[in-house]
Amino acid sequence: MNTSAPLPYTDTKRVGAADFYTAINATFRFIFRRFGREGLVRYWHDLGTSYYAPVSSRWKEGGLSAVTAYWQAFFDAEPGSRVEISMVENEARVCVKECPAIQHLRAQGREIVPFFCQHCHFVSEAIAQPAGLTVRVKGGNGSCEQRFIKSGPEVAPQRLEDIATAS
Amino acid sequence: MIGCYDFCGHYEWTFAWFEELGGHNLVRAYWLEAISQDSQTHAEAEIVGHGIEGMKRYWEHTLAEEAADHVMTATDKVYRIDMHQCPSKGFLIRNGLEQYRDYCDHCMGWIGPMMQKAGFVVDHEHNHRGQCWWEMRQKSDPTPPSAPGTLSGENDVRLLPGWKSDLADTIDHYERATDPDDKTTVS
Repeated sequence: MNTSAPLPYTDTKRVGAADFYTAINATFRFIFRRFGREGLVRYWHDLGTSYYAPVSSRWKEGGLSAVTAYWQAFFDAEPGSRVEISMVENEARVCVKECPAIQHLRAQGREIVPFFCQHCHFVSEAIAQPAGLTVRVKGGNGSCEQRFIKSGPEVAPQRLEDIATAS
Repeated sequence: MIGCYDFCGHYEWTFAWFEELGGHNLVRAYWLEAISQDSQTHAEAEIVGHGIEGMKRYWEHTLAEEAADHVMTATDKVYRIDMHQCPSKGFLIRNGLEQYRDYCDHCMGWIGPMMQKAGFVVDHEHNHRGQCWWEMRQKSDPTPPSAPGTLSGENDVRLLPGWKSDLADTIDHYERATDPDDKTTVS
């Protein structure tokens, strides 16, 4: 594994296959039906702390600039994404103008799980915490703003009502 | 966000998460209910609806999108895929990802039940290094799997030098199957 690259896992293709978004959506639905919301949040948390542990390491070592580098490389590899990534007042800000997953699921006429957009908060929070960071997500259902900031008692908690229901 | 660029990585990780949570039956249920019956409804429309012609259309699209090094061979009786370099398993190998004991089983896990619904059975082998072959025939057709080279010629993955290049390699073998557990392992 190349630990200096912004993404821990690399592929030979320039972008991923969009049809996989249907499997991500179906996975969330399966877990929710079997284990409820608590099980789904646990899945997102475990995914963030385990599978994405190499991302946490990069963010811990490289700070917010590693966060922006990660999301730029990430969205460059997601087909159909349109994002603006910037550093604003000690925040890494990811402004998703067009979410590739929501866009593809709609184009395919799929029933999107209503809480789909919450995974961006729970997975990213699990990645960010070991790096001393936290994330706040606002919007969703096709476009949103994600702010990565240093953790601290002065940071207001994530309000889940700020994350839109997906449809 | 969970992305599709590294989908195979978190998909494989998810198999292990399910196995730890609910054992093998939960992994099987995931492949059936979430993948075969939910995620892959576009494949079902083609395969169950149109048989071999639908298989050709589905896999032409999806294997091109995944940039798979493969060859498809079809007659009106059989549909065959020779996978020379699986993009999915290849991603895992290149990135050193292995949480679940046999990632390759997921294909039979979702394709098998779909073929059963379509009235087909599957002959299949995979070598755990990103190479495999598949033959789908109507369940009523008693034809055995083809001998190496007789159906797809020099493109038959079993003829490639890497098919079984190491004594430690094992080949998983399915015959007229539609169930992911209906396999034997040959060393």
